[in-house]
Amino acid sequence: MAAAQARKTSAQERKHWDRKWIPYVLLAPAIITIVVVILSPLVTTIYYSFSNIDLIRDRTTFIGFDNYVELFTSRLFWKAVEINLKFAAIVVVVPTLMGLFFAVLLVEDFVGRSIGRTLLILPWALPWIVIGLLWNWVVHSQFGALNGLLYSLGLIDKYIPFMADENWALVFTAMASAWRQTSFSAILLLAALQTIPEDLYDAAKVDGAGMRARFRFITIAWIRPTLTIVLLYNIVLGFLQFDAVWVMTQGGPGDATMLISVLLYRYSFINFDLGMGAAVSNVLGLITMGVGLIFVRLTYRSQATYS
Amino acid sequence: MPSNFGVLGATVARKTVTYIAFFCLLFWVGFPVYYMLITSFMDSPELGVKPPHWIPQEPTIENYREVVIGETGQRGSYGSTTEFSRMMPALLNSTFVSVAVVLSNLLIGGMAAYGFSRFDFRLSRFAYLGILMTRVLPALSLIVPLFIILRKLKLINTLWALIFTYTIFILPLTIWILREYFDTLARDIEEMALIDGATRLQAFRLVVAPLAVPGLIAVGVMSFMEAWSEFFFALTLTNSLTYPPLLMSFRNLAQVNWNALAAATTVGVLPPVIVAFVFQRYLVRGLSEGAVKG
Repeated sequence: MAAAQARKTSAQERKHWDRKWIPYVLLAPAIITIVVVILSPLVTTIYYSFSNIDLIRDRTTFIGFDNYVELFTSRLFWKAVEINLKFAAIVVVVPTLMGLFFAVLLVEDFVGRSIGRTLLILPWALPWIVIGLLWNWVVHSQFGALNGLLYSLGLIDKYIPFMADENWALVFTAMASAWRQTSFSAILLLAALQTIPEDLYDAAKVDGAGMRARFRFITIAWIRPTLTIVLLYNIVLGFLQFDAVWVMTQGGPGDATMLISVLLYRYSFINFDLGMGAAVSNVLGLITMGVGLIFVRLTYRSQATYS
Repeated sequence: MPSNFGVLGATVARKTVTYIAFFCLLFWVGFPVYYMLITSFMDSPELGVKPPHWIPQEPTIENYREVVIGETGQRGSYGSTTEFSRMMPALLNSTFVSVAVVLSNLLIGGMAAYGFSRFDFRLSRFAYLGILMTRVLPALSLIVPLFIILRKLKLINTLWALIFTYTIFILPLTIWILREYFDTLARDIEEMALIDGATRLQAFRLVVAPLAVPGLIAVGVMSFMEAWSEFFFALTLTNSLTYPPLLMSFRNLAQVNWNALAAATTVGVLPPVIVAFVFQRYLVRGLSEGAVKG
């Protein structure tokens, strides 16, 4: 009786506490700081994009859509879009395929598997800046590792200045990004592959499914949600990458590796045209938000299918 | 036994393919890293030889000595001597920032994740979605307004500016992962503790937190890596106080000592690499849960 009474009181008390201020106290620091540091600059950026900002006279004038009109009619912007699409294509296709390849390898039981799994983490653990530097060494025209390798194997007579060539520069900056994303993709896909129950394969074998059929209808089907997410992460990175490209080429040679993010940097921090910079930011933000929304929709849909 | 023979053949083929693929993995990951490592143990003349030495002929630790004592051999060449003297302080700064970010992130993010997980109140869903959306924003685009805010707070060119910013940018991911953990943790154990008269705080500290340790480690490790690696904010909000922007400024020196740069790079990536290897298991779990379950 007394115990039941005590239980009831404490339950009431708990309800009282729960409903009042605890949740707000728990969430306040996160929400307030996120509003100050992320949302308010976001709103400011949107406002800037409709303004002409004169830094010298410290004057901000509202000019409507002028920045966007200027942006969408400039050849530079469309060039950046085109370059960025090519860049993103490499950053999506290479890491997704290679990541799947390495993940499939590392569920296999063989001597060296744990070395492989550990080594896989390495690129992911490196800062983008370092990855840019590493790939600079790989493609350097005088002492690059790739030139050295090709020379040692007798495939070239003299070193190739890769980064002076517009196409090679774009390919190799994208490969640097792909290098780290391959690890990221493989880690995620490996984790998904490890959850496939072995008896699914056995059952399929009994039913006479060949290796290709088993790969397609069991492996791929099982990891499809993860694969979707890997794809979308890689797409987002394909549009947000800046650091590694900046270290390697700063957008060059010429404008060959001028991604949208590099264009944004040029407007904001080299030309100090903050209004145009903000407009580019918002366009870039809309692209990645769009990708993010697709991601949310796809995951919700797949959850709905499963439940 | 024809069928057995067939199986054996398939096994051999499978092993061969596996090891070819394994070699590809070793080469893909190892080649760039190995080249940086051997460069860091060479002197400048050896770096220039053709064909390159794949194993340093006369390995030297001179480059590492220069990085640690803060001087390069090429004295008087465009300030590279003074740049290198900033290396060790920058590594200390990076350590301080990263550790502070881990702690503040776990505290603030843990609180919020617990709040989202245990209490259902108006706006919580909206706020949660809002937090998640911040993950896909280009951080680059927020820098100008952020700079103005931090200047008002008199935090520009301090480590606090970085700690503050990094913590908040990592928060969404933290909340995302930890909420998942708190959601799956046996809620009835906690309820029992509450019924037995524990306060919420006690219940959290004694029951929930210990069970959530793997999640906390995963999140801690990930925020350490993010904080250690971040380049752009550190470049614009401070005068290259931390390791990544300083490394960039070495690279941009008029006369780069590539060997010393390789040594500096190697030294600076040791902390995140060691952390990643030591906490590998937690990291993989945190990564996949953070990415996949959201």
